[in-house]
Amino acid sequence: MNEMDDAPTPDEEVMVVEGGIFDQLLAKIKSQGFRNQVFWSLGSILLALVVAAVIMLMGGYNPGAAFMWLAVGAISQMDQVLWYASPLILAGLSVALAFRCGLFNIGAEGQLYIGAMATALVAYLYSFPILLHPLLSLTVGVLAGAGWAFVPGLLKAYRGAHEVVTTMMLSYAAILFTSWLVGPNGPFWDGSMVPQTPRFYDSALLPLLFGDYIHFGFIIALLAVFGVDYLINRTVLGYELRAVGHNIDAAEYAGIDSKKKVVTALAISGGLSGLAGSTEIIGTYDRFIANWSAGIGWDGITVAVLGNNNPWGVLAGGIFFGALKAGGNTMQTLANVPVEMVKVIQGLVVLFVAAPRIISWLMKHAQENKEEAVIRPVNTLPRFLAAFFGLASVFLGLGTARTVLLTATPTFWVMVAVVVLLLVAVTSVLVFITEYSRDPRGSTILLIIAVGWLEAAIAFFVGGGGIELTSIIMAFIAFAFWLSMQLLRRNVIKEGAEQ
Amino acid sequence: MNNRTLYRRIGVLAAVAIGIIALITLPERQQNIAGWLVSTTLQMATPLVLTGIGGMYSERGGVVNIGLEGMMLMGAFTGAAVTYYVRNPWWGILGAVAAGGLLAAVHGVVCVKYKGDHIVSGTGVILFGTGFSTLMLQIVWQRQGQGELIRDTIPDIVIEPIQDIPFLGPAFSVISPVVIFMFVLTIASWYILYRTPFGLRLRAAGEDPSTLDSAGASVEWTRFIGVVISGCLAGIGGAYLSIGFGSAFAKEMTSGRGFIALAAMIFGNWTPSGVLGAGLFFGFLDGLNYFIQIYFPILLPFANFIAMLPYLLVVVALGFIRRSIPPKGIAVPYEKERKG
Repeated sequence: MNEMDDAPTPDEEVMVVEGGIFDQLLAKIKSQGFRNQVFWSLGSILLALVVAAVIMLMGGYNPGAAFMWLAVGAISQMDQVLWYASPLILAGLSVALAFRCGLFNIGAEGQLYIGAMATALVAYLYSFPILLHPLLSLTVGVLAGAGWAFVPGLLKAYRGAHEVVTTMMLSYAAILFTSWLVGPNGPFWDGSMVPQTPRFYDSALLPLLFGDYIHFGFIIALLAVFGVDYLINRTVLGYELRAVGHNIDAAEYAGIDSKKKVVTALAISGGLSGLAGSTEIIGTYDRFIANWSAGIGWDGITVAVLGNNNPWGVLAGGIFFGALKAGGNTMQTLANVPVEMVKVIQGLVVLFVAAPRIISWLMKHAQENKEEAVIRPVNTLPRFLAAFFGLASVFLGLGTARTVLLTATPTFWVMVAVVVLLLVAVTSVLVFITEYSRDPRGSTILLIIAVGWLEAAIAFFVGGGGIELTSIIMAFIAFAFWLSMQLLRRNVIKEGAEQ
Repeated sequence: MNNRTLYRRIGVLAAVAIGIIALITLPERQQNIAGWLVSTTLQMATPLVLTGIGGMYSERGGVVNIGLEGMMLMGAFTGAAVTYYVRNPWWGILGAVAAGGLLAAVHGVVCVKYKGDHIVSGTGVILFGTGFSTLMLQIVWQRQGQGELIRDTIPDIVIEPIQDIPFLGPAFSVISPVVIFMFVLTIASWYILYRTPFGLRLRAAGEDPSTLDSAGASVEWTRFIGVVISGCLAGIGGAYLSIGFGSAFAKEMTSGRGFIALAAMIFGNWTPSGVLGAGLFFGFLDGLNYFIQIYFPILLPFANFIAMLPYLLVVVALGFIRRSIPPKGIAVPYEKERKG
């Protein structure tokens, strides 16, 4: 399952289903591709949460309470969730659209700043009637964002400059440029202590939908999801973009001007990023403040990746990350876990999503383990226990290293013990992998770990730290596992010889 | 050696000679200022060059590594934290190498073993590195924004005899061992890359992995080692920020240096000497910023534009001056016996 490579996913086949919109939706949900997709995303989130729990345990936090308050915070503050989600959805759409054309618009952040800046200028320099003003500001913002992405598009199409590098560099340039514009030396400074523009006209601000947070930008984000979905799947341009993204040579051969499509795709993508910045600046803020966006463009990449570059997936991904952000604040106040944990979870989700084969590997071996358990139940149990021991050894290795570091006086030998413990923790991951996939090399690694634990205990003792019971016990358990594995292996060989 | 290279070398030599003559004729105060500028350039360039050369190992092996920023942050944090506990900066450097290498190993496993998308994985590495280092900052020092001051930073090497010489004194008399390591690393990397079997394998893994495979070497291991080296070097680069010329870990303290290092690597065309040159140039721009703040306050309003220069230069260079040609097999996962 390597969906990343097949940009047009199997949903094309589903599109031919006759009937109303609901029948089509139903058919789509029932399709194998869709189910794989959902399974893959949910699996990544789950794995990321597990690893995040390990990190929280190591940091001395309570992961149970943290996750509970995260969920409670997200569910009880739906308006905040959607408020956080709306720029993320727009930025995610921007990245996703470029992705469908085979381009990686990593500079969404910069396009967002430029779009917001242009919007801010229209919003505070000129005065217009109430409905016209926001519309005009947003249009200008979209155009500015598109223009900022147009340049790398041109460079990519006609000069072969890689868009990852150019958009990223332009993104930093945009952030510095806008902060100069609104700073003490720039033309649009309001004269206060903070680098910011004067306040916008009230007529330019987007109205709130309900509650204190969620503004009209969410409706715009929803419309953009419909729009991008329509553009990608129902129009000639969208077809051509996907064709270029899928195979540029084939597209050229079919008569598509791939260079123009590349430029168009990046420009539309930049426009969407610009829209994200614009809606946010006249929806949430009432003035342009230097460095206002705390990485919305970066989060947009995450959202697009999680939604597999499908507009509806982006919608779901955006709301998920919005929930993480809203819940993160609750988690910080009530479970005392810093809100940065949310960023860690995001990074982990992306890492796991990047490698769909990790989850297919887990599933494949789960299946094979199940089959093995039926044929040779005697062998399976110790194997599973050993795999479990590997995981436990990871936790204990890190935990012991932490306690040692915090309590003992850091002499040379104590440091050696800490290093050895960390190495043991890393090697223990290998134990899990090898035992879980029934690799015969697993037992050797068990022996290495036994020696490692013992060495850590000795180094700790020599370093004047006293007797470390955990290490010694773990060493003995690892040794016992190694012995039983050797015995089992001998039995298997004997069985094979008898047959 | 053809004529063109000859002319180029003569040009470079002439420029150096003119520079030296100009320097000698300057009054002593100006000479000292120039020396100070050189010293600042070296300091600013060190993290860029170390990280950039690291990135080169990864990309020469065929794995895109945009996660350098995250690895630098991990190195900066771990270096500071270990030094804080152990009170010895060398252990801190070791910790930084381990932390950067570990994060890079995750990137390597995702990209090489599980054939994930390199750029997506790199984004994950950046997010994780940023979030994790900030989180740990709060856990270790119970503070937000900036950790406690670290007294045992990497000691500078003081060269007494040249201390009072006008230009050389301010430029080289107090020099960090990491700066010296930067030059050593550049030469060593050139040797490793072009004169050892490993370097040949690494370059083959990036250019044409199937050839490497048919020669009997493991493409996966070669690439993986390249990625891990990149993380280790990025870790040192980050640690230099927190326990080298700085003396505390601050939230997101690399402030985009990982990306500038990436730019230096592309600017330097994926070669050690090129990365060194580009890194020194970007470091010079960085140093110039401080220089202006101190000596030419009139230009201060345009400090942002000087900070922008490296980014814009890369765009202009990529677009108009020359095409930079990355290794051919870059970002393409290698599958044994792939059809076609």
